[in-house]
Amino acid sequence: MAIEPETQVEREFETQDLFVNIGPQHPATHGVFRMVLEVDGEVVRNLIPHIGYMHRGGEKLSEHMDYRQAIGYQDRTEYLSQFNAELCYVLAVEKLAGLVPPERAEYIRIILTELNRVSSHFMFLGAFGTDLGVFGTSFTYAFREREHILDLFEEVSGDRLMYAYFRPGGVAWDVPRDFKDRVRWVCKQALVGADDMDKLLTDNEIFIARTRNIGKLSIEDAIDYGVTGPMLRASGMKFDLRRDEPYSIYDRFDFDIPVGTNGDCYDRYLVRLQEIRESIRIVEQAVEQMPDEGPILPERMPRMLRPAAGEVYMRCEDPRGEYGVYIISKGATQPYRCRIRSPSFCNLSALKHMTVGHFVADAVTILGATDIVLCSVDR
Amino acid sequence: MIGVLRSLTATMATMMRKPVTIEYPSKHRRVPERDRAFPILLWDFEADEPFCTGCHACERACPVECMTVTMKDNPKHAEGKSKRRKIVDEFFIDYGRCMRCNICVEVCNFDAIAMNNTWTGHELSSVDRKDLIMDKEQLLALSKAKQIRPWVPS
Amino acid sequence: MALLLWGIFGVDMNVWLDAFLRLQIVVIVMTVTVMGLIYIERKFVGRIQMRLGPMRTGPYGTLQSVADALKLLTKEDIRPATADFWLFELAPYVTFVPVFMTLLALPFMEGWFVRDLQLGLFYIVAIPGVTVIGYLMAGWASDNKYALLGAVRSAAQLISYELPLVLAVLAVSMVAGSLNLNDIILQQDTVPNLVLQPLPFLILLTAVLAELSRRPFDIPIGESELVGGPWVEYSGIRWSIIFALTEYAGLWAFSLIGAMVFLGGWEWPFGTRDFWGDFDFVYQLALVFSKSFLLILTMMWISATFPRLRIDQLMAFCWKILLPFGFLQVIINGIVLTYVDDSETARNVILFLTSSALVVAMAYVIYLATRQPSREERVGAILAARSAQ
Repeated sequence: MAIEPETQVEREFETQDLFVNIGPQHPATHGVFRMVLEVDGEVVRNLIPHIGYMHRGGEKLSEHMDYRQAIGYQDRTEYLSQFNAELCYVLAVEKLAGLVPPERAEYIRIILTELNRVSSHFMFLGAFGTDLGVFGTSFTYAFREREHILDLFEEVSGDRLMYAYFRPGGVAWDVPRDFKDRVRWVCKQALVGADDMDKLLTDNEIFIARTRNIGKLSIEDAIDYGVTGPMLRASGMKFDLRRDEPYSIYDRFDFDIPVGTNGDCYDRYLVRLQEIRESIRIVEQAVEQMPDEGPILPERMPRMLRPAAGEVYMRCEDPRGEYGVYIISKGATQPYRCRIRSPSFCNLSALKHMTVGHFVADAVTILGATDIVLCSVDR
Repeated sequence: MIGVLRSLTATMATMMRKPVTIEYPSKHRRVPERDRAFPILLWDFEADEPFCTGCHACERACPVECMTVTMKDNPKHAEGKSKRRKIVDEFFIDYGRCMRCNICVEVCNFDAIAMNNTWTGHELSSVDRKDLIMDKEQLLALSKAKQIRPWVPS
Repeated sequence: MALLLWGIFGVDMNVWLDAFLRLQIVVIVMTVTVMGLIYIERKFVGRIQMRLGPMRTGPYGTLQSVADALKLLTKEDIRPATADFWLFELAPYVTFVPVFMTLLALPFMEGWFVRDLQLGLFYIVAIPGVTVIGYLMAGWASDNKYALLGAVRSAAQLISYELPLVLAVLAVSMVAGSLNLNDIILQQDTVPNLVLQPLPFLILLTAVLAELSRRPFDIPIGESELVGGPWVEYSGIRWSIIFALTEYAGLWAFSLIGAMVFLGGWEWPFGTRDFWGDFDFVYQLALVFSKSFLLILTMMWISATFPRLRIDQLMAFCWKILLPFGFLQVIINGIVLTYVDDSETARNVILFLTSSALVVAMAYVIYLATRQPSREERVGAILAARSAQ
C-alpha cells in the first residue's frame, strides 16, 4: 500500500509539500518526541525526527554515584523494562568486580526480569491499540494484567515502577514467603490477558488492514540501522541474546524465539504477543527450579564496591532490543565512564526508512510498533 | 468478517465482568508491607528519644543528596538514661528530591530510618515546594503516634 | 390524551405559535436526551473497558453531563488571532443546525411531529449534507495545518457516505411506496422493514457511523493523530456544540430514523391496536425510544471495539462495496415490486430472499477484499515457533 517515493507524478499545476509537525506534546508519540513529516497530500515524503527533550545527563550523573546509587538511574532510563536495565548494569559490575551471585539470587533476578518483559509487552499492546484508534479498550485490557504484575513487584521490592532492587552480587533483600505462589498466579493471569488481547485484535480485519505491509523492514536494512530486538526478529532474523550469548542462567531454560516473516507492523505485534507467552514459560520453569532457601548476596561482600581497574561491555536482551552498558573503572567506588547503549535510540534511526512512502496515519502506527521509550532514547 | 465479530464478542464478554477499578479517594487499596513511600524516622519508646544518632551514614549514601543531618551530644547520656552518646540535632529531608531508593534504610546502622508504608506517605501533595522539606519533628510524628509498623530489610 | 398534545393544550391556535411550541418541546427533549446519551456512553464504554465510568457527581455519576455543561459554559472563549472571524464563529452552528433540523420531520408518536412532510425521507437525508460545509469552514478558518487536513479528510468522508445512506433509504421507500415517514411506519404493521430489507439496514448502520465520524470512521477527528481534526482550535461551549450536541443529537436522530424506517417505529408490534385505549401514546413512545436505544447501544458497541480505518481504506469501502450493493438493491427492488403483484406475502418473501442474498454476497465480497492468508499462515509461523525450535 505504499507509493514509491521515486515516482514522478505528472501534475497539471505546481504543488508544494506540507510540513506537518507531530509535536512533542501529542497523545501518540509515546513521550516527548517530535516528528516533522513532509507530506504530499497524504503521502509522507520525508521524516525528520527531533529528540533530546528528555536528556537528563544520565551518563554523567552515573559517574558521580557509586555502583549502588547508580542502579536507581538505570530504572529511570528504561522506565518500562526496569529490571532488564538493572540486570544489565549489575551483570556488568559483577563481571568487572569478579563477583559471583548465589543461585537463589540468580533465579529471583531472572523471574523478575522476565515478568518485567511481560509487563513491558503488555504496555506495548495497550498503547498500540490506542494509536490505532481502539481508544481505551485495548489499553484497559492490557493494563489489567500489567497491574497484577506490578502488584507483585510492589510486594517484593516496595515500589511499582522504580524498583532499585538488584545489587551487584545479587538482590538487595529477600523475597516474601509467598513469592512462588504469587508468581504462579500472576503467570496464569498473564496468559489469560494475552489471550484476551489476541481475541480482540489479532483477527480483526480492520486491525490487519491497518498494520499489514506497513513499515516493512528487511533484514539487511535492519542490521544496517542497528535495529535489534523484536523488530529484528519480526523482519525474519532469529537472533536473541538470551539464546545466542546466554548470560546469567538463561542456558538452563527451554524457550522458543518467535520470528516473523514479513517485517511489518503486524509481525512486530505478533512477535511481542508470542514473547509474552515464552516469557511466562521461562518464569514457570524458573519457579520450579528456584531453591527455597539460600543467601541472596555473596558471602564476602565489601561494603563499598571497588572493582579493579578495567572496562567491560555487557549486553542484555531488553524487551526493545539490545541494552548495553559499558563501564570503565579506575578502581574507585564510582565509575570513570558509564555508557548506555539504548535499544530505542537505534530502533528509532530506522523510522524514516520505514515511513517514507506511507500515509500520515501510518506514521503513527509505525512509531507505535517501534515501541520506544523516550528516556532511553535521550538518557 | 469473522474477525470483527470475534472482536465484538470479546468486548461483550468483558462487559459482563466486574469492573476492576475502585473509587479512590473514598476507597483505598491495601498497600503491601514493603511499600516504599518516603523515609521517616523512628522513635525509641524505651529511651524516649529517636533511634537516630546523626551519624551521617544515610546522608552520604543518598544518591540525590536530599538529607541534611547534624549531630549533638546527648544530654540524656550524661544523665545516664540512654546509651547513645550522640543524638540527632537537626534532620531535614527534602521530599521533593528524594527518589525513594531505600539506600538510606539499608546503610543505617541503628535501624533509625524506615520507609513510610502507609497511605499517608503517598498523599503528600502541597502547593508550595518549601512545604516538602520535612524537619525532624514531622519525620518523627508518625512513629511517635505509633501509627506505623515499619519494615526494615534485614 | 394524544389529541391534547396535538393542538397544544387542546387549543386551536395560530399555526406559527403551534409550530414554535412543538419546536420547544423537541429542543427540550433533545437536550435532555443528549445529556443522557453522553452519560450512557461513558458508563457503557466504561463497562466494556472494565472500569466504572462516572461515579462521583450525583448518585452514580448521573449529574456528570450537567457538571460538564456548566464547566464548558464558564470556559474562556478562545479564538486564534489569525483565524477568520466569521467563519470560525459560525462553523459550529452550521454543523449543528442541520442535524437538529432532521428532528423536525420525525413522528415520535402517531400523529405527533413538528411537521408532517410529504417528502420526509428526502428532507432527512438532504439536510445533514450541509454539515460538510461546517467542517470545511472550521478547518479553513482555524488557520492550522492539522485542522485543514482533518477538514479535507472529513469532507471527503462525509460526502462519500451520503450516497449509500441515500440508496438505503431509497430502497426502503420503494418498498413502502412513499417518502412520508408516517406512511412508511404505517406500512410496517405486520412485518418490520428489517426483515424485508436487511441489506439497506446494514448499509444504513455503516453510513450513519461514517456520517457522525464515529469509530471506526473517525479519521477526521483522529484522536491519536490529528487530535480533534477540524475542531482542534475550539474550546468551551463551542466545542461542546460539536462534540456533544452534534454527535449525540445526530446519533439520536439517525437511530430514530433507523428505528422508524427499519424497525417499525411506533407501529410494530402492536402500536395502534384498540386495547391500548387512550394510553396508546405511552406504548408508542416506549417502542420508539427503546428501538432507537437499541440502535444507539449497537453503535456505541461498535465504536468502542474497532480501530479506525485509514482514509483510503474508508473511501474504498464506501465506493467499491457499499455503493454497488446499494445500487443492486435498488434495482432488484424495482424489478420485484413491478413484476410481483400476486399478494403481499409473496412480495414480502421475495424481497426478504433477494435482500438476504445480497447481504451474503456483500459479506463474501468483503471477505474477498480483506482476505488475508488464513490464521494458520499469518500467525502460525510465529506462534508455532514453539515447536520449530
